[in-house]
Amino acid sequence: MKAANQTRGELLKDERFFAALLVAPGLLVLLVTTTAPLVYLLWTSLHHANLSMPWMNGFVGLDHYVHMLGDGRFWDALRLTAIYTVTTVVLQLVIGLGLALLVLQIPLGQWLFRLVAILPIVLAPVVVGLYWRTLMLSPSFGLFDVFTTQVFGKSYNWLGEPTLALISVILIHTWQWTAFAFLVLLASLASIPPDLYEAARIDRAGVIDRFRHITLPLIRPAIMIVIIMRAMVALSAFAAIYAATGGGPGTATQILNLYAYQTSFVALDFGYGSAQAIALLIVTLAVSAALFRLRRRGGLA
Amino acid sequence: MLVRNSGSNITRRKLLGHSALAGAALAMPSILTTARPAGAQSLSASAFAKANIDWKQFKGEEITVGVIPAGYFNNLIDVVDTFEDLSGIKVHFDKIPPGQIRQKAMLDLSSKTGVYATHAADPMYYPLYVANNWVEPLDAYLADPKITDAAWFDYNDIPAGWRGSCSVGGKTYGIPYDGEATVQVYRKDVYEKAGINPAETLDQFVANAAKVHDPSNRLWAAALRGFRGAGQNMYIYPSIFREFGGEWYDSNKKLVVTTEPAIKALEWYADLLRRYAPPGVENWNWPDIADAFGQGTLATYIDAHNSAGVINDPQKSKVIGKIGYARWPKGPTGKRVTSIWTWSFPINAALPERRKKATWLFIQWSASKETQTATSYEFAGAYKRTDVNRTSLWQEPQYRKLMDSYGDNFVEAATASFRDDIDPDWRPLIPQWPAVGEIMATAVQAALVGQAKPKDALTAAQKQIDQATRS
Amino acid sequence: MTRGGVRRRLAKALIPASATAVLALWAFPIFWAIVVALKSESEVLAFPPSLVFKPTLANFGDSLVGRFSILPEMWTSLVISSVATLLTIVLAVPASYAFARLRLPAGKFLGFYVLATQMLPPVGLVIPYFLILNRVGWLDTYQGMITVYLTFSLPFAIWLMVSFMEDIPREMEEAAAIDRASRLKTLWYIILPQVRGGIAVTVVFVFLNCWDEFLFAVQLSGNHVRPVTVAMYNFVSVEQTLWAKLSAASLIAMVPVIAIGFAAQRHIVKGLTVGAVKGGGRR
Repeated sequence: MKAANQTRGELLKDERFFAALLVAPGLLVLLVTTTAPLVYLLWTSLHHANLSMPWMNGFVGLDHYVHMLGDGRFWDALRLTAIYTVTTVVLQLVIGLGLALLVLQIPLGQWLFRLVAILPIVLAPVVVGLYWRTLMLSPSFGLFDVFTTQVFGKSYNWLGEPTLALISVILIHTWQWTAFAFLVLLASLASIPPDLYEAARIDRAGVIDRFRHITLPLIRPAIMIVIIMRAMVALSAFAAIYAATGGGPGTATQILNLYAYQTSFVALDFGYGSAQAIALLIVTLAVSAALFRLRRRGGLA
Repeated sequence: MLVRNSGSNITRRKLLGHSALAGAALAMPSILTTARPAGAQSLSASAFAKANIDWKQFKGEEITVGVIPAGYFNNLIDVVDTFEDLSGIKVHFDKIPPGQIRQKAMLDLSSKTGVYATHAADPMYYPLYVANNWVEPLDAYLADPKITDAAWFDYNDIPAGWRGSCSVGGKTYGIPYDGEATVQVYRKDVYEKAGINPAETLDQFVANAAKVHDPSNRLWAAALRGFRGAGQNMYIYPSIFREFGGEWYDSNKKLVVTTEPAIKALEWYADLLRRYAPPGVENWNWPDIADAFGQGTLATYIDAHNSAGVINDPQKSKVIGKIGYARWPKGPTGKRVTSIWTWSFPINAALPERRKKATWLFIQWSASKETQTATSYEFAGAYKRTDVNRTSLWQEPQYRKLMDSYGDNFVEAATASFRDDIDPDWRPLIPQWPAVGEIMATAVQAALVGQAKPKDALTAAQKQIDQATRS
Repeated sequence: MTRGGVRRRLAKALIPASATAVLALWAFPIFWAIVVALKSESEVLAFPPSLVFKPTLANFGDSLVGRFSILPEMWTSLVISSVATLLTIVLAVPASYAFARLRLPAGKFLGFYVLATQMLPPVGLVIPYFLILNRVGWLDTYQGMITVYLTFSLPFAIWLMVSFMEDIPREMEEAAAIDRASRLKTLWYIILPQVRGGIAVTVVFVFLNCWDEFLFAVQLSGNHVRPVTVAMYNFVSVEQTLWAKLSAASLIAMVPVIAIGFAAQRHIVKGLTVGAVKGGGRR
């Protein structure tokens, strides 16, 4: 017995060492490449660094952050970001899962579905934005307009009206990225041993029951990862929206990321822009931490 | 391929020895590239021998020039081997997407990395450049007989308004390479059928639009830029603003945008677009307008005169031969105000002295009458520039002949606009203009979309402008 | 029995049908991109858009040869994306195993740190990266771009692989431990084949992210190293957008990624068949 205990202790140390070894190289790379930029960003956010008014540059402490809290545009951007992110992630998950479940049932030619599904992702976001802007959604020129005029007799100004514009950019983002959820969930679903279903079927469990009690818990880790990843991407979405609406009309689609870009690179107020970027970082961290905890709580074997 | 030159900046590579190996292994693409179209152009070195300077005095230098993808720069790239032969200076071009070039240039200038010896600069950024001391004052270069033949170069041949847009406080900081003015562009046939003439006043412009507006037959009357941007819808609004008699500064030298003329101008703008423009116009930039006009769905627009090249492109346009041009309609003040736009070349202040002068030679060469000619009507390719920087060129018969082919009255409209309609106070020349311009652009678009009434949009903008210009 | 049989057969037919319908709708814009690429510029904006026209391959030709060829940029992107992906996988897979399956000291914290590094908004990173790369002399170089992309891809890859690692039934390692296999051997011979599908998915997405990235590609590259996303702007100028040529170019630019996706998805399948452990799974 004592021998077994010793080995277990040693085994644990071995394992910890081995684990650390596996993680070290990647961790080192990240440490080196992300720490400096983060420090720079923080440092800049504490300064007035406006290229168009260089005579005013200098340390200002938390001024930018205080100003941000009182900035209506900031809160608007935050609100839009929340709507945008939640909507697209939920849509991606639901559609992706549905598609994966469907396609899983098709043994033959599944490769074709997988291939077709990733085509939207393969298209560069900047091209996607341009495309949808003119060829799809532009009134009187775009395909959507052909469709709606034929079927509904009405022409919608998809990118010209604030609410429609928000719907449009959510649509574009979802269209492009759902395949990620699709593929990841497909791979996850496929790794569930069919025996489990057999056993359930023998026990006369219905389709919905099988789904709720077998499938869902087993793919939960994959679902959580999909949610976390897609949320992070949605929070920092840039190229497609920028190409499609530029944040407009007015500021109807100006999510926080775009607002930070505008502040830094157009208004040339890098100090304030950096503060906004830090704010976005904090929001992302908070959201991910919450999701992360949810994930952990789900319990792993 | 012209813009990717494998002989790049040696000093950077020196720092990493192994990159030379990597470079060799990765040089494979050069077999896929095509060399510059050899002998495509008839620009000879003898044309420049006339200039009384030693072109070869900075032999051996290498410079990188940042430009945007555009026909007028493509032509320059095609003829640059003449310059290289002439001067022994190697020129690399870097084509940067138009939405990124300002940021990239500023990143380079502000961090003093000296990557771009010169770049195609947006005139509204010069006050900013100068406030930060990023670019060289060029008057000394212009006056130095060793590097400039002033008589041959004839700097004053460039329209005064354009020269002014690249100057700050009367001092020159950039040399215009090309320039444009906004003019009315209309469908001759549509106007003839409706029995109208191009508008002389803003009111007439609206009246004309009412007469030809026919959306059920897919013909919309008029369009102006709506896309939000300091260089987009704010490229048109200032003209209307000034035509209504607007002044940017009040008696206390404060930037004010809530004046009566400002509101009236925005109301006119929003009203016109709402009633007579194709749906979606609030998101339209110049290419969208040109597309619509070329497809025959638009009767009139006011925009850059060198859109003539695009709407006369046989590959895309359906309305060749049906185009007419006119100057801006007059505002209530009786003024016509056109836009001022040039792509100009400044000199990066972070360069070593010798390279600065080498860059100057390049700039002088590209803005010279000979090169301007070679890239327009003497150019062997399909695209011939209409936006040359020389007023004297507009008098050349061959040039005029080419311009005439673009439509009725093109030459008169353009030259008159350059000569008479340029308003030095068209836009405020302050370093904060990029930010202010964006704020105004958002307000304009908000009004166009109906998100806010013009007066409210401008009031909101004023608050932000005060923030942005506080000192 | 018959009624159940009919219902089951209906369901069986309905599934592929609806999946096909959804996918057809999804892929329609891509289909349209192909149509546009085959048209001539003036036909692209004709209204109503027509499916009947004289197709031309000129646009594809222009993207492959001549002054607007995107082949050099594709090669550049291929090199950058491949090396970045390779390095990412090599670093991420072992790390993910450690996070998912081993007792790593400060595992939870490190795991979250890794995730957090990915949350730095790209918008805020452009300038610091520019300055740092400039300091090291890596602006407009392959190694500079690869390093930047590695920074984005690593956390993403690690976390993606973690979810796949967690899918592996514990019995496999326990079995290996009983056989007294070393940890390394366990990882290499037992775990890796299990997560083949996961690795394949990760490879596809990491490669994709690198291939399609724009913001950093434009700011940190230049004359010497020009990724393919920047080359798209050969057809988008201030004056006009050449839609047909842009479509053709984007479609061509998609080819390498599709090829990788195609190669990878076979492994997703292989992963399925190898993975099923008789009577395995969590209990």
